[in-house]
Amino acid sequence: MGKATVIPFGPQHPVLPEPLHLDLVVQDETVVDVLPQIGFVHRGLEKLVETRDYNQFIYIAERICGICATGHSIGYAETVESLMGVEVPKRAEYLRIIWHELSRVHSHLLWLGLAADAFGFESMFMHCWRLRERVLDLFEKTTGGRVILSVVKVGGVVRDIDATQMAEIISVLDGLKDDYTKIMNTLLTDTSVKNRTVGVGHISTEDARSLSMVGPFARASNLPYDVRSFGKGAYGDLADFQPIVATEGDCYARVKVRCLEVLQSIEIIKELAAKIPAGDIEVAVKGAPADGAQASNVLEQPRGECYYYARGNGSKNLERMRIRTPTSQNLAGMTVALKGCDLADVNMIILTIDPCISCTER
Amino acid sequence: MDRFSQVFNEVPLAEVHDLAARRAEEGWRYVQILAVNTEEGIDLVYSYMKDGLLENDTVAAVGADDAVPSITDLFLEAFVCENEIHDLYGVAIENIAIDFGGMFYQLAEKAPMTVVSPEQLAAREKAKKIAAAKAAKEAAAQKEQAAPAAPAAVAGPTEEEIQAKIAGLDPEKAAKVRAAMEAKAKKAAAAAVETAPAPSAALTEEEIQAKIAGLDPEKAAKVRAALESKAAKAAKTEGKGE
Repeated sequence: MGKATVIPFGPQHPVLPEPLHLDLVVQDETVVDVLPQIGFVHRGLEKLVETRDYNQFIYIAERICGICATGHSIGYAETVESLMGVEVPKRAEYLRIIWHELSRVHSHLLWLGLAADAFGFESMFMHCWRLRERVLDLFEKTTGGRVILSVVKVGGVVRDIDATQMAEIISVLDGLKDDYTKIMNTLLTDTSVKNRTVGVGHISTEDARSLSMVGPFARASNLPYDVRSFGKGAYGDLADFQPIVATEGDCYARVKVRCLEVLQSIEIIKELAAKIPAGDIEVAVKGAPADGAQASNVLEQPRGECYYYARGNGSKNLERMRIRTPTSQNLAGMTVALKGCDLADVNMIILTIDPCISCTER
Repeated sequence: MDRFSQVFNEVPLAEVHDLAARRAEEGWRYVQILAVNTEEGIDLVYSYMKDGLLENDTVAAVGADDAVPSITDLFLEAFVCENEIHDLYGVAIENIAIDFGGMFYQLAEKAPMTVVSPEQLAAREKAKKIAAAKAAKEAAAQKEQAAPAAPAAVAGPTEEEIQAKIAGLDPEKAAKVRAAMEAKAKKAAAAAVETAPAPSAALTEEEIQAKIAGLDPEKAAKVRAALESKAAKAAKTEGKGE
């Protein structure tokens, strides 16, 4: 073995537009140790809860990340509702999940495009982002926004989706599903993709469990952990929900799990659209969380379980709001996946983990 | 069916590591660690999950001199939260597996989350005032329950005020009101005689006769008969005693 050398990766790197830094300890061409570092753009958003009341903070919560925005607004709203004992109308729960699953579709398509681009499959990148545009168009038609939707509020949602719009969503998703399936099959059967991903960055089921990994990263290692399977809200009304898992635990398995989750999300949206009950979309929320009252919550974001915590102080401002993002939880798993890999595979491993540094730097 | 539930437990600082070890052994997932800045110190909340049950173990009021044991020997992934809590709250955490020594976040200020903003201070003072007012109200209610005070007599209008009001009415109405008042007064006097205990020795014969004179003749006759019968009974008892 040659002499150990430390090669810096990021915080500015072509493969990842977000500021993640890794100190890669390399011997010859093999990575023997990794030290991850974040914190370059920490924004202190949690501190802002002291200067915004609990209704205003939802707009900050959804600006934590442009990709997981809807999920953060739902996670935050659910936590405050739990804190104040508010029960949201059933229709609002359905609408939230429909927008949230649409967000998962757009998030996974965005990731798939970036991953394809990273291993030189540029036409795939363009196709994925072309399909993603259709989802953003649906957001625009139903909420007025394309990235930050501002459609969730404490106590429900601010907009309804009428029958015409719902039919359009289903029609667009049916078309998208056909086009996407062709792309997905091309990607998953492509020899060069397999050469770059199969057997690379392996994580065993035991490691995934002991490192408390979350999201597709964990499910690709045959750990069937998905917060949606708890049946919270509208998820509880699904006829059947089984987390998508793969057994291989390598980069290819992670690509496969995310690809299949797009189709799963489309099916969830179609089922909820068929079952959505009529009724109110919000309830009036009055008063303030009690002093010392606290509540926690988990939500399955596109990258995995996200934890939310709120504590009241008797005023309209919360005493504390905490969000532990999926990427933060997966950093330890990432270091384990990188140890022992070839230097040339580092970018592939990082991309298939799909870290969201923006979320982590809340 | 919602299989998610949450629990908050109080845990002493000394038991944090042992509890983490027990949870690791029992197959709990580590979820996160968070800190809350309070007036008494920093509260730490350790979260673990198993089968949809989210347990939050709270260590209350960790002081500046307290050393918190790291749980990264059991849950490596906790290094992110532990470094974060050290950098943002200044809590000393010992033996973190990947310790950045205060350089995890690039911060302009040390322990920025412990700075109490004016808004937070105002919120805390408001919450204190509300709590104090609530406590005072509860104490007053308890005191009232313990010793129920006699209802304060409502001071009614004086005789002069009533007469002045009646004078302001039209004559027909005034006559009716006067008649009603007289009837009411008679009724009240009768009720007083009925409900009153037997005239005490303090009442002289003249006073009793004056009261009876105020009653309507039929009732007055009944009362006189009752008094005479009572007096006869008393005389009989006296005679027997002798």
